[in-house]
Amino acid sequence: MKGIVFTEFLEMVETAYGLEVVDSIIEKSNLPSEGVYTSIATYEFNEMVSLITALSKEVNVSSGDLIYTFGHYLFSSLGRAHPEVIQNYNSPLGLLYSIEDHIHVHVKKLYPDAELPSFKILEKTDSSLTMIYTSSRGLYRLAHGLIEKTFEHFNGKADVTYELIKDDGTEVKFKIVQHG
Amino acid sequence: MDSKEVLLLKKALERQKKARQQAERILESKSKELYDVSRHLKETNNKLETLLSEKTSELDGVFMNILDPYVLMDLQFNVINMNTSAKDLFQKDHTKENVNLARFIHPHFQQYTMESMQSLLDVGILKNYRAKIRVAQGKEIWVQINASLIFNNQRKPIAAQGIIRDITGEMEVKELLAEQKKQLDIIVENSPLGILLTKDNRIIKANETFMQMLGYSHNELKNISLKDISAPEVQTGPCRLLDQMNQGILEEFTAIKKFYKKDGSFILTKTRMNAVTNQHGTINYQVGIIEDISKERKAEMELKASESRLSTLISNLHSGVLLEDENRKIALTNKMFCNLFNIPVNPDDLKGADCSESAEQSKVFFKNPDAFVKRIDEILEERVTVLSDELELVDGRVLERDYIPIYNDGIYKGHLWAYHDVTISKNYKKNLEAQREKYSSIIANMNLGLVEVDNNDVIQMVNQSFCQMSGFKEHELLGKVASKVIQVSNKELIPSKNKRRLSGASDSYEIEVQNKDGRNRHWLISGAPRYNESGTVIGSIGIHLDITDQKNLEFQKEKLLKELEISNTGLQEYAHIVSHDLKSPLRSISSLATWLFEDYKDVLDEGGKQQLQMMQEKVASMDKLIHGILEYSTANSSELDNTCVNLNEVITEIQEVIYIPDHVEIVVADILPNIIADNTKMHQLFQNIIGNAVVHIEKEKGIVEVIAQDKNEYWQFTVKDNGVGIPKKYHEKIFKIFQSVGNNERSTGIGLSIVKKIVDRYEGEIWVESKIGEGTEFHFTLKKNLNSHKNEESIDYKSKKIAS
Repeated sequence: MKGIVFTEFLEMVETAYGLEVVDSIIEKSNLPSEGVYTSIATYEFNEMVSLITALSKEVNVSSGDLIYTFGHYLFSSLGRAHPEVIQNYNSPLGLLYSIEDHIHVHVKKLYPDAELPSFKILEKTDSSLTMIYTSSRGLYRLAHGLIEKTFEHFNGKADVTYELIKDDGTEVKFKIVQHG
Repeated sequence: MDSKEVLLLKKALERQKKARQQAERILESKSKELYDVSRHLKETNNKLETLLSEKTSELDGVFMNILDPYVLMDLQFNVINMNTSAKDLFQKDHTKENVNLARFIHPHFQQYTMESMQSLLDVGILKNYRAKIRVAQGKEIWVQINASLIFNNQRKPIAAQGIIRDITGEMEVKELLAEQKKQLDIIVENSPLGILLTKDNRIIKANETFMQMLGYSHNELKNISLKDISAPEVQTGPCRLLDQMNQGILEEFTAIKKFYKKDGSFILTKTRMNAVTNQHGTINYQVGIIEDISKERKAEMELKASESRLSTLISNLHSGVLLEDENRKIALTNKMFCNLFNIPVNPDDLKGADCSESAEQSKVFFKNPDAFVKRIDEILEERVTVLSDELELVDGRVLERDYIPIYNDGIYKGHLWAYHDVTISKNYKKNLEAQREKYSSIIANMNLGLVEVDNNDVIQMVNQSFCQMSGFKEHELLGKVASKVIQVSNKELIPSKNKRRLSGASDSYEIEVQNKDGRNRHWLISGAPRYNESGTVIGSIGIHLDITDQKNLEFQKEKLLKELEISNTGLQEYAHIVSHDLKSPLRSISSLATWLFEDYKDVLDEGGKQQLQMMQEKVASMDKLIHGILEYSTANSSELDNTCVNLNEVITEIQEVIYIPDHVEIVVADILPNIIADNTKMHQLFQNIIGNAVVHIEKEKGIVEVIAQDKNEYWQFTVKDNGVGIPKKYHEKIFKIFQSVGNNERSTGIGLSIVKKIVDRYEGEIWVESKIGEGTEFHFTLKKNLNSHKNEESIDYKSKKIAS
């Protein structure tokens, strides 16, 4: 998993719960990297799982909700890191529609070893989008947060519903209906 | 800041430092990687550049020094560089003047050149561009160009380079070859001889003539071996020759070969095979020239046959032939010649014999020996064809002699004597003359009128009798149209008969004509077509017989018949009237006698009563007699209404009608046949005979038997009784009218005469066999098929059917 996810996650924890919680979850998680992360390197996915689990215990919030919240946070971070990517689009649906074919292609240019989820478009209209999220990580709540934040970014609103095609969340169908 | 917080920050800072160091390490290693790659690229680039410049200079040298013309031009055909050969070719130097290659292109190749240029731009190379160009002094040469594009460093085409080859000579050779091939093909295809190219017995090529000879198509021939379709005329001949040729022993041979056609027949050919060898002496091809000699062969055979026929003909000729050569030696003679002059040797043995003395030797045969010898000398002197000299021999024969001199290329080679025995034909002519005279006089004097007309009915010939018949003189008839001179009552008849004559039909017919005196005559004419020698109808011959007298007799006969019919009818009516008129006073007498008896029976004594009774009986007898006469008169005259009559029914009916005494029985042993006859007449016939029989039986038990027998054309019936019998002397008499045997009250003497009449009408016979006191047998026959023969079969069939 790319280092930026770890750095941003810890940033969010620090902002939300303070440095003490950050230190605590790192200490408790027994990480091979010892909690040292740089955005340009790559780390074990399990470290993220450990960190989230630890945080969940620490603050008594469910892992899913934590991941969902992190999705909101991550969108802004990524936007700050690569503003030119978002500037290419003038609508949230347009951006979502292009994740697979455009944004991920650019990611691959910079980080050829990145392991990215896939978003397969099932149906698209001017105001709605249906797509399937597939990833061995099962981080669909992260995707959920990111999607919602996308609309927020463009000052739009949408109903985002999802339906687990596989119980472990490795394949999830998202249905997005924009309004307003 | 408390110590815990400081500790946390320190830890966080420591992590951040480590992260930075980690990131810096990653970046350093990436930067090193990049440096290595760029250095490697630079080196490669340098290497390539060196290579390119080396190659370019190398190529420059090569192109400038190659023997073939080389040109470098821009895309507007302006020459940038060209080698010496190119300068020589175009006779231009680009260093001295601007040379544009487009100007050289022959007008016919402008379009092609533009297309080629486009393809060069599209593909980058151009191969085997072939065109004509015009160089100085209007000289035209063929060139072949292989070209490629040259690009600048932006990969844009900026120029084209090409190597030019002068292929004028090549093209000329090619054209020449093509021309020669064409000429050769024309020769081969139009050759009257079959031409064949074979290799290892396989046919590679054959010309049209050969294909026509055998009827195979080109493709069919390709799959056929020479040995499949040909055979040597003599089995061991050229096949072996062909094998020898294949082995390289023979170079050529000529042989008579059979070739089998596609349809299975064969032709005879004179075949010449030549082996075409390459420089190593092995055979490349065999060329066969095939001449169809079937016709020549046939002609040769026919000639031989006709020669042999001719000699047979001469030897069997009905003319004596003697062929002498220029030295008067016999070259040929035949059997007939020997026969004519009684020379008792075989004609072949006479060959070579000298004839110079023969005239002198054989003059004794002739009536006029000296004239004979003199005439021969004369003829031999003149040597001119002489035909039909007539010679009379002492033994009465007459010979005709022809002399024909024989020249070959104007040189006298001998002569031919031909003698024909014309004795018979001479006599024949005489006989013919005599016969003609004989028949002419018959024709002239015969009692039948003879007229010959042509197709236009113009009279060509008449005889004396016809003149007498018609009343015209001969000169009044000849050359005239027959129908105009002789007036015929039925105008349409003669032309229609003449028309029939044209189609070759002959027939006889009667006509009514007016002779010269205007009297009507009846003629019977037999006409037949006249033919000329070639068998076409040229007119008709009519033989005329005057039948006026017969005609008149015929008319008289018809008249008499009519009168007879009228008088017959009259008589019949008379018989009716008489019998009727006689019957009514009879009935009056009968009534009066009855009344007399009724009214006065008390007054009359026995004698009177008996006399009245007798009177009644006589009246009844008289009535019967009249009835009989009436029947008799109609038996002959009334029409026979012949139908199918069931005789069994007839007999049954008769039994019901007639009086049969109690002791008599009528017996029909076998079933009687159905016959074709008049029902009423059959009733009368059987009723009269049976009626007669039953009343003449005095025996205790009387039997009358009816028997029928089939006698092919006739039915024979027998009515047999066991009655009193008829004395012999009456056997003929009884069939005559008013004759009866004895003095029987019931017999009128008419019955059997009616029977006789009916039997006569059925062309039958009736006779009697009888013995006094034992019985009588009446036999009579009736013809089965009385009427026309036409109905014979069907009626016969029908009656048989019914009978069975």
